[in-house]
Amino acid sequence: MFRLHLVVLVNEIHKGLLHVWRYRVNFAAQLAMFAGLFVGIGFLMGRGRMDAAALPGMLVGFVVWYYAFMAILNMSTSLATEAQTGTLEQTYISPARPAWIFTGRALATVVSTTLMGGVMAGVLVLIFGLRLTVGLAALPVFGLTLAGVFGFGFMIGGATLAFKRVEAVGNLVQNMLLFMNGTLLPVDHFPNWMAAISNTLPTTRGISALRAIVIDRQPLSRLWDDGTLAALAIHSALYLFAGWLTFTWCERYARRHGTLGHY
Amino acid sequence: MQAHRTSIALVDLTKTYPGAAVPSVDRVSVSVTAGRVFALLGANGAGKTTIIKMICGLVIPSSGTIRIDGQDLQRDRRRAIARMGVVLEGTRNLYWRLTAWENLRYFGRLRGWWGRRLDARAEMLLRDLALWDRRHQAVRQFSRGMQQQVAIAAAVIADPSIVILDEPTLGLDADATRRVRRWIAAMTRDHGKTVILTTHQLDMAQALSDDVAILSRGRLVACRPMHELLEMSRIGAYRIRVKGALPAGAGDALDGWQAADADGDTVLTGHVRADGALYGVLDELRRRRAPLIEVAPAEPDLEDVYLRLVHADPVAIG
Repeated sequence: MFRLHLVVLVNEIHKGLLHVWRYRVNFAAQLAMFAGLFVGIGFLMGRGRMDAAALPGMLVGFVVWYYAFMAILNMSTSLATEAQTGTLEQTYISPARPAWIFTGRALATVVSTTLMGGVMAGVLVLIFGLRLTVGLAALPVFGLTLAGVFGFGFMIGGATLAFKRVEAVGNLVQNMLLFMNGTLLPVDHFPNWMAAISNTLPTTRGISALRAIVIDRQPLSRLWDDGTLAALAIHSALYLFAGWLTFTWCERYARRHGTLGHY
Repeated sequence: MQAHRTSIALVDLTKTYPGAAVPSVDRVSVSVTAGRVFALLGANGAGKTTIIKMICGLVIPSSGTIRIDGQDLQRDRRRAIARMGVVLEGTRNLYWRLTAWENLRYFGRLRGWWGRRLDARAEMLLRDLALWDRRHQAVRQFSRGMQQQVAIAAAVIADPSIVILDEPTLGLDADATRRVRRWIAAMTRDHGKTVILTTHQLDMAQALSDDVAILSRGRLVACRPMHELLEMSRIGAYRIRVKGALPAGAGDALDGWQAADADGDTVLTGHVRADGALYGVLDELRRRRAPLIEVAPAEPDLEDVYLRLVHADPVAIG
């Protein structure tokens, strides 16, 4: 049984990478668009010039937002497309638990986004001569941040299964995250009410913790001591749990209403 | 004598979608024998696809039970699903951007196969379809018929004992339909698979199926072996074609027979109620020197039986 699920996980990652390769022109155009968006935002935030001091922190937030963007995209638009083409229902005709299949899809998104985000970030670092030191200490923080991101992605995915046309909500959330999760401006610059909302979003705490490690060069132990890491872990675990519950409930709702393959 | 094993058993299966006033499937009980082709027929909205999706676990029944090879689907979904391959109606069922080879390997792994066993099975199926040379071509570049054949191949990639085909020839041209029909026939004849088939092509259902169930407005109106259903509907009718018009006076001797003009010839249709009565009619025609072209039974086919059953009050006959 474990081997079946391992095969299913690898299968999903493999298929995800095949899709990236088949749609490589689309993905290249998407990368160019994101790089252009980063440059445009950097230009606006720098009031007409690229502020070299602010750019590294902004890039850290932008990369996390990019992961969230892709997680939401894959759990809304892609899932709706699969419902339309019939491959979603075929996915359910498997002895493997759907939980493993969709975890595999989430991992596929992580792998493909890491490849593309890596290229995008690398190009931006080279163009603007940014100095970023991404050590091993960033990995657990990044992993915890992604857990929250994908928990949120599963909520959107569940809503897609049950209620179908939720792409508009997905787009709204993607844009809201960019402006409210501290990507462009650290949360401590926000008014209190906005900071309170921002801190409930799936990526805000992760971006803040990553900046502390990558930009401020703080050791992981310090984040642990001041409770930042524990708060991030609890926050992400709650998102993951809520995402899972939502997805499972919505899946059952769709099977009861016979709308799993509807679009 | 070979024992008949039940492959799929539906008992009082009912589905009322939330908010619907009437059930889409209403207390349907059916047994599908292993190694046979079972046709599930009915008009659009009769409940065929809902039954198929309940068997696949894609729709949760309101009540009733589904047993796959003795396993309760609700209790042991994983083992029951592992026995099935399914092609659903009106959808692609495949990833069009992936090649035929990649699709078969993806769906094979999804159903628990991997490694050399999977590759050998995928190769065998693609060679069987004469698609081996085009295996690295994206499925979207294939014709509709080829895509449907790859979809069926993907459904049987893990060698399931049960194959469910929901409208497998929908939108296919005559050549592709014929190839799919041959494949379905070979599945039971050569590989002993149980096939559940839904189709609006009743000639295909009649040619391929061993058993047939007819649904009307969610209720089962007939469920019989095909030959029994046709036999029950036999009316002892014959059709006699004679060249040109009937000779004068011949009509008087053919009491109860209907004559109709067909491209200048005369076609007589009538019931033969007693043994030897047909010979009497033929003797009469010979005596009057009516040139005989053809004598054939004019029994109702599945289409006639189907239309009669679904347009009658839904009274179960099986």
